[in-house]
Amino acid sequence: MMNVIKNAAFDLNNDSITAWKKQNRPIVGYTCSQVPVEILYAGGILPLRLRGVGIQGLDIADAYYGPFICSFPKAILQSMAEKKLTHLDGAIIADGCDSMRRLDECWRRASNDYPHMELPFFHYMNIPRKVSDHAQEWFIYEVHKLQTALASHFNISITLESIQKAIQIYNKSRQLIKKIASLREFNPPKISGTEAFSMSLAAESMLPESFQEHAAAVLDHFATQSVEIRVGPRILISGSAYDDIHLIQTIENAGANVVGENVCFGPSHRANFVSEKKPPMEALMAHYLLACPCPRMFGRFDQRLALLKEKIQHVQANGIVLQNIRFCDLHASENGLLERELEKEGIPCIRLEREYGSQTDTGRLRMRIDAFLERIA
Amino acid sequence: MRPEIQEYNFDWMLHKSMHIAFDSLKGSKKEYQYMLNYMPYFKGLMDLLGKYDEPGVLFIDMVKEVVDEIVFAHDQGKKLCMTTFCLSPIVLLAMDVVPVVMEPLTVLPTILWKRGTYDFMNYCIEAGLSETSCSSQRGALGAYLAGLCEPIDFIVFDSGGVCDTNANVFAFSATYLNKPLFQLDYPASFLDEKTKEYQRKDFRALIQFLESQTGNKLDLQKLRKRLEETHKQDLLLSQIDELQMLKPNPLPPIFNLFMYAGRFLATSNPAYTTLLEAMLQAVKKNVDQGKSGLQSGKEKCRALFCYIDHYSSDARMWNFLDDHNVSHLGSILSRFFPDHAPYLQDDDNNSGYRIQLDSLDDMIDSLTEINARSPMVKSIRGPYDSPYMWLEDVLAFARLYQADCIVYSGTPGCRNTWGMVKPFARDTEKHGFPTHILYSDAFDERVESFETTSLRLAEFFRVRQLI
Repeated sequence: MMNVIKNAAFDLNNDSITAWKKQNRPIVGYTCSQVPVEILYAGGILPLRLRGVGIQGLDIADAYYGPFICSFPKAILQSMAEKKLTHLDGAIIADGCDSMRRLDECWRRASNDYPHMELPFFHYMNIPRKVSDHAQEWFIYEVHKLQTALASHFNISITLESIQKAIQIYNKSRQLIKKIASLREFNPPKISGTEAFSMSLAAESMLPESFQEHAAAVLDHFATQSVEIRVGPRILISGSAYDDIHLIQTIENAGANVVGENVCFGPSHRANFVSEKKPPMEALMAHYLLACPCPRMFGRFDQRLALLKEKIQHVQANGIVLQNIRFCDLHASENGLLERELEKEGIPCIRLEREYGSQTDTGRLRMRIDAFLERIA
Repeated sequence: MRPEIQEYNFDWMLHKSMHIAFDSLKGSKKEYQYMLNYMPYFKGLMDLLGKYDEPGVLFIDMVKEVVDEIVFAHDQGKKLCMTTFCLSPIVLLAMDVVPVVMEPLTVLPTILWKRGTYDFMNYCIEAGLSETSCSSQRGALGAYLAGLCEPIDFIVFDSGGVCDTNANVFAFSATYLNKPLFQLDYPASFLDEKTKEYQRKDFRALIQFLESQTGNKLDLQKLRKRLEETHKQDLLLSQIDELQMLKPNPLPPIFNLFMYAGRFLATSNPAYTTLLEAMLQAVKKNVDQGKSGLQSGKEKCRALFCYIDHYSSDARMWNFLDDHNVSHLGSILSRFFPDHAPYLQDDDNNSGYRIQLDSLDDMIDSLTEINARSPMVKSIRGPYDSPYMWLEDVLAFARLYQADCIVYSGTPGCRNTWGMVKPFARDTEKHGFPTHILYSDAFDERVESFETTSLRLAEFFRVRQLI
């Protein structure tokens, strides 16, 4: 079962996607955790978070993006150019941050040179950076715009009922992820960080029902079988978008246990489920806008700090890895503030700057992690 | 930060520098020439200001007044608001709030002080801000974070949705300094009704915030006076701008800096009006004589700066352009889109703003519309090739002002433009404009020395046979 999950987590053309595609059903990629996936799924479209795992270089992406740009959107562009995302029928570029929003233009321009990159559906989604009443209205307006664009392009109907149903389906995945997270609360944890985070990634990379089937089996396995995990310092990872297990492996190989992540991959990112009681659009807005813990939501540091502290307490973390992808100013600066606040309260932190993707900088990262673990031992 | 740096307040040093610069320029020709011997590190800058007589003196006078306001704000019972260049300061000034605009306050010491603002930039990193953040605010911000200035009272920025690195700096500062914060957030679209409605609501929320911070209501008469003065300044700017279309361009390169620095620091202040009047006179004199604004009087090349200028120590970029007989046709910073602007003459979509003074509501709407057209806010809020955005604007300017080339100068901290400047430059090249991308940092010569930057520029001009 874990193999299916791992395959889904790290293969951009995994079995679940292939099976969906075989039924001639559309797949649309999206760039940011603030895009409400339920809208897509409600219309029979499989939403997939765009990622760049497995690429070996950024030569094509560097021809469009400038040098001082985060390697995450570059990796997506590179994946697309290298034909690693051929299953896509469309893409939604959300203006999550400046580097990511410029994927819109770079992608369109690259499509001139690499015609296979041109997708029949390409949508730019604007998301407010504040939570005032008029920003909430605006978010709902943008969701409606997306709904209309999808319905018109794919000739589908997206009703409030189908959105409500999609909310319930995705909440089921969230429930499972939460249960898996609870296995990490033990000391030693009953599941390794590598395996637990793979589950989170898989949830965003496969059909939800299929994920739920496999995740339930994995959950049974880990809940009933004794897994050999040694006792070690408990680490929580926070910061920039993170979607491979390399850093977690590096930390766990150094003798610690990664017991939680506060990053924008995986449905456990936010504290709550999407409400099934509110009207669907309002519920999505509350979840994807109001509860968004990304520093792109300016002026909401206190809420994010409180959420992080809650997570730290919940998983009883002994140390926090505050990581950011180079040129991700939002997280890098937030990490500076978080470090100040957390260290003040006696919670050890380490700030790590890295590039997107696995196997980069292993030696340097390992050395710094060893030093950090020595400090908190 | 080095202990000796912490011995002196940043704003007071700037205040003293401005007064000394002003006094030097006000001296007799002989006194001034003699004084230059004692200014080895900013002789070029002083010379740049001095050689244009009245406008140069008036510019320093205007800036001096602004810095004085900052230094003495609290003594006069006024509040200090940390803000950004892309927020029009009119609403703040109308509420007797003194704007502390980070970017111009970074530029001034960068071009004026031998050591630039490196110590303050570095301090931002010590405080926790990312080292890859935009340098345009960091030069002044470091001093504010280190407590080396008159403390600010609150923070307002309008770069949400426009420029993350800019917005992030202000959000960071609000947390670090524990100050109240307000942001205007902009949609990616520009002229549609939904966007206008959002902007109106957002700007009214800003006014509410300012009223709560100052304890004062927005005063109708003060606002009207400020907007009337702004209108006067807009008309002068339009006249000056229109003359830039002439061949040769009668504007001295440095006049573009005067235009936008005044706009960022002193819109609606009479001192800015006086400066613009003097500039217009000086430009008209060149027109009458059929002369270029360059010192040689001869124009070999017309360069449009599609983003910002380069603020090296001693302000060497403008002298470099002058020395190479290259006219400066303005940048993203020097155009503000009033409806009477010469570049909007053929605009059928009413994309410019109109200042309306009939009621308070009209005036607030005017402020909203002015702000929505501020540099960056207007043209880089959405995809660069969308209607009314960067490419369309730059190509229109390049054609109207008969540019021979386009130069991109920015900072490595600018995710927004570095995210697409390569395809952007390919597009401008396709339209027939040789385009050069500078990889230097406009505010931090440690990234690339101006010697290197100028060599690269000179090479571009030479290789593309522009001079």
